[in-house]
Amino acid sequence: MRAAPVLLAAMSMLAAPPAAAQSVVTSPRPDSVAVTVYRNPERDPGERPNLDWLGGYALVSETRTVVVPAGESVVRFEGVASGAFAETAIVTGFPEGIIERNRDAELLSARTLLDRSLARRVHLRRTSLATGTVREQEAVIRSGAGGAVVLQTADGFESLRCTGVPETLVYDEVPEGLNARPTLSVRLRSSVATTATVTLSYLAAGFDWQANYVGTLSPNGRRLDLFAWLTLASMDQTSFPDANTQAVAGQPNRERQNWQAPDQSSLELRCWQQGRTDQIVAGMTGDVLNDLPQAIVVTGSRMRRPEFESLAQARPVMAEQENLGDLKLYRIPVPVTVAAHSQKQVALLRREGVEVRRVYRQTVTESEADEEPVPVQMALLTRNRASEGLGLPLPAGGVVIFAAGAPRPVMLGAGAMRDYAEGEEVEISFGPAIGIMSQLRRVSHENGITTYELVVTNDHRRRIDFEAELQFDNVQSRIRLEEREGRHIWRTRLPSTGRAVLRFTVSPS
Amino acid sequence: MRSVLLLAILSVSAPALAQITAEIPPPSQSAQGDVAVTIYNNNLALVQDTRQLAVAAGRNRIEFPDVSAQIRSETVTLTGAGIGIVEQNFDFDLLSPSALMQKAVGETITLVRMNPATGVETRERARVLAANGGVVLQIGERIEVLRDDGLPVRVIFDRVPENLRARPTLSVTVESERGGTRPLTLTYLTPSMSWQADYVALFDEAANRMDVQGWITLTNHTGTTFRNADTMLVAGSVGQDQPERYPDYRRNRPSPQVRAAGTESAGRERIGDFYLYPLPERTTIANQQTKQVSFLDAHGTPTTRGYEYRNDWLHGAEEPESANSVLNFSSSRAQGLGDALPAGTVRVYQRDARGNPQFVGESPIPHTPMGSRIGLTTGQAFDVKVRPVVVSRDRIDLQKWRESERFRIVHPDGTQTTGQRDYLSTMSFWETRMRYSLTNARPQPVTVDVYQSGLDQSSWSDTRLVAESLPSERLSADRVVWHVTVPANGSVDLEAVFQSTY
Repeated sequence: MRAAPVLLAAMSMLAAPPAAAQSVVTSPRPDSVAVTVYRNPERDPGERPNLDWLGGYALVSETRTVVVPAGESVVRFEGVASGAFAETAIVTGFPEGIIERNRDAELLSARTLLDRSLARRVHLRRTSLATGTVREQEAVIRSGAGGAVVLQTADGFESLRCTGVPETLVYDEVPEGLNARPTLSVRLRSSVATTATVTLSYLAAGFDWQANYVGTLSPNGRRLDLFAWLTLASMDQTSFPDANTQAVAGQPNRERQNWQAPDQSSLELRCWQQGRTDQIVAGMTGDVLNDLPQAIVVTGSRMRRPEFESLAQARPVMAEQENLGDLKLYRIPVPVTVAAHSQKQVALLRREGVEVRRVYRQTVTESEADEEPVPVQMALLTRNRASEGLGLPLPAGGVVIFAAGAPRPVMLGAGAMRDYAEGEEVEISFGPAIGIMSQLRRVSHENGITTYELVVTNDHRRRIDFEAELQFDNVQSRIRLEEREGRHIWRTRLPSTGRAVLRFTVSPS
Repeated sequence: MRSVLLLAILSVSAPALAQITAEIPPPSQSAQGDVAVTIYNNNLALVQDTRQLAVAAGRNRIEFPDVSAQIRSETVTLTGAGIGIVEQNFDFDLLSPSALMQKAVGETITLVRMNPATGVETRERARVLAANGGVVLQIGERIEVLRDDGLPVRVIFDRVPENLRARPTLSVTVESERGGTRPLTLTYLTPSMSWQADYVALFDEAANRMDVQGWITLTNHTGTTFRNADTMLVAGSVGQDQPERYPDYRRNRPSPQVRAAGTESAGRERIGDFYLYPLPERTTIANQQTKQVSFLDAHGTPTTRGYEYRNDWLHGAEEPESANSVLNFSSSRAQGLGDALPAGTVRVYQRDARGNPQFVGESPIPHTPMGSRIGLTTGQAFDVKVRPVVVSRDRIDLQKWRESERFRIVHPDGTQTTGQRDYLSTMSFWETRMRYSLTNARPQPVTVDVYQSGLDQSSWSDTRLVAESLPSERLSADRVVWHVTVPANGSVDLEAVFQSTY
């Protein structure tokens, strides 16, 4: 009668953590946090960030208050971004420094629970379907998770779930070192107990941002009201409430990441050969190779929580731009929440009445010869300086152009812009024109000299400024061609509902 | 309730459970002894594990649990006083329900049938005849297929065959002269452990200084935790060829990081050609862990920012391209970091207007000797751009080609030969006018190094620079560089004329 409590006491002693002088302190969340979002370097400016897989990253800087005991201790940081790159972590603020910092990525799962409980005592719980009686008995796990479960009980050796009886394992505790998420921690030694304000910063995957320009073109096509959103998105599982938020434009180098997703392999319970007489298929009887043990897959599926937080209407909050080395930093002047799995927009810039030149243009190459007519491209040209109404860095992004003056907004087209520094010539292409087509014909080919004819047609009841860039070497024409950056440019004005023709020859090089 | 039930079990089969209890290790105990781990850069580690083991006189079979789950068993050596190795085994026949059933063929097992209506259990003994597809049993005089009717049946095995193991297990059979406990040292190689350096560089652009911290980052994906290990890192890759390098054809690709290799010896421990980085104290390297320990803390290293643009052939660009932004510093003792740098990644931070460090780019570096000149490309500048333009490419005649024909050979004795070369009349000659438009939107002047390569494509072609608007520096037969100063918020056009044969 007395033996049982003694044994239980002995077991609980065994289950206690190792007798180490090391105490564990957990910092559950940051006191304040700053998030700087960097663009996906491999995304084209016009391409929208894929909210399901954001290829950019963020620098997360957290301030935390930690109570450090005297002696050796481990401080665990919880609530960090799930996409944190451990090798980029920086921890400052512990008065006596740290010994080492760690990221533990062995995660708690059905599989690791079983695997780490090898040769440990667990409880086997069986429920009788006939009577509802629940019986629990002690068992020791004798097999690893790879081939599934063999248990030692007082009766002998048994399998788990090969019997047709509802049965499960009940564990007493979570084995040491298994975490719900990859966890950052530091090991340190302090001569006195103290409270430290520490800064933890790291780069984290799963963020992106983009500029989204909205332009409204005046009826005469000479003035553009330009507005841009700073659209930033996170697919991280951690939300950062009231974060000081920045976005960086430019091209900081980031090496290809060997980011290893934490091991989330599922537990497969395999039984012995379960063939029955009703499952015999001709030709398969006794075929050992087809004798696959039955598998029960225990797995978890990730829940998705679309939590879009949009600030769609215009607000007086406008991002502030500053230089950061050879990059451009945009600061959102008020703390905002960078929520998990969400997208957020704030105003990036606004310029009214930018002087633009609206052109229709085409780049003409040999490959287009003798194909059908193609629509020419619409573009707005300007220069990024104060005299034109600009004169500020323009980060890359998508552009949508609307026409002003109509009773309701009319969208003229959409395109994309690369990064433009101050002073650069800016070209905003916004899609194919309607009713203005160009066609290149090869007229003749004699003595190595090819003659081409470029025909451009206009179905508008107004004249249209058009220019073609000829991507040919050794071009000659009777019509005078301009030279720009080593290329031949044909500029002309298309008559109302009419056409223009350029005949040119290309001699061999 | 539970203790009563437990007691009931105890009273039924006390000897069996007592045996179980004796074998259960406490959760944190490991069979590892005094562990020393040496980790190389190329996903390889050498583990030395000294265990105090009781060895009887004569032949012993010793098992070594808690070795790396990825152990390269062919590299194992065991040493100890007064023992000789008979054989070494690595058993990976794993214990599982199906293996258990296979090994039970011919043996007798216990069946516990449960009546689904009443829950009543009945026990009987059965002999396993076969386990091919289904399990065929002989019960008394009857032959049955296990659970052919789908009703619940528990199967209880009397024992587990000896060679079925929970995990792959290393065992060594030794011949010992005498009995007694003594230290035995197990040494083996394991993959899935590696390390690299991670550098945190805080660049102060106004002061042209940089603070650099170096961290050793080691990772353990062996499946095994090494407890309280004496850890040493070796800067180098052993026993493996260098990975093949693929040519990089990107436009304006970064220049190599080490511009001139150093010749100073760092004050660090060395074995052979390798630098060693011992961790200052013993540490536990957990499975799936990334561990970082500081090894370098340098302050105020003189550092300058430069810009580079590389044009690989005499071709133009469709639009202006950002120049590479480069940090130049040294690893020398006198003027730099003062240490050899193990290979890794340098992440550069700069303070923003509010004084918070922000990430401004990173660059890999190879193993770098002390005293090296280093140029790290951290990214491309938003405000500094270069656009190469082919202004014209025209055929020229032999006469014009000859006008630029001047060669000079300096002989070892100091005399010189100058002259002209003859060309086959079938060759064609070309003149290419290049313009490099440089723009700078920064409020300070910048100097951009513009590299033009592709001047020595092959032995039969010949390209020469015949005119230039700024003096160039000829770096090699293939490459020239111009150091172009672009004023604040300004632009400069660099022009050059090349003649080449085709």
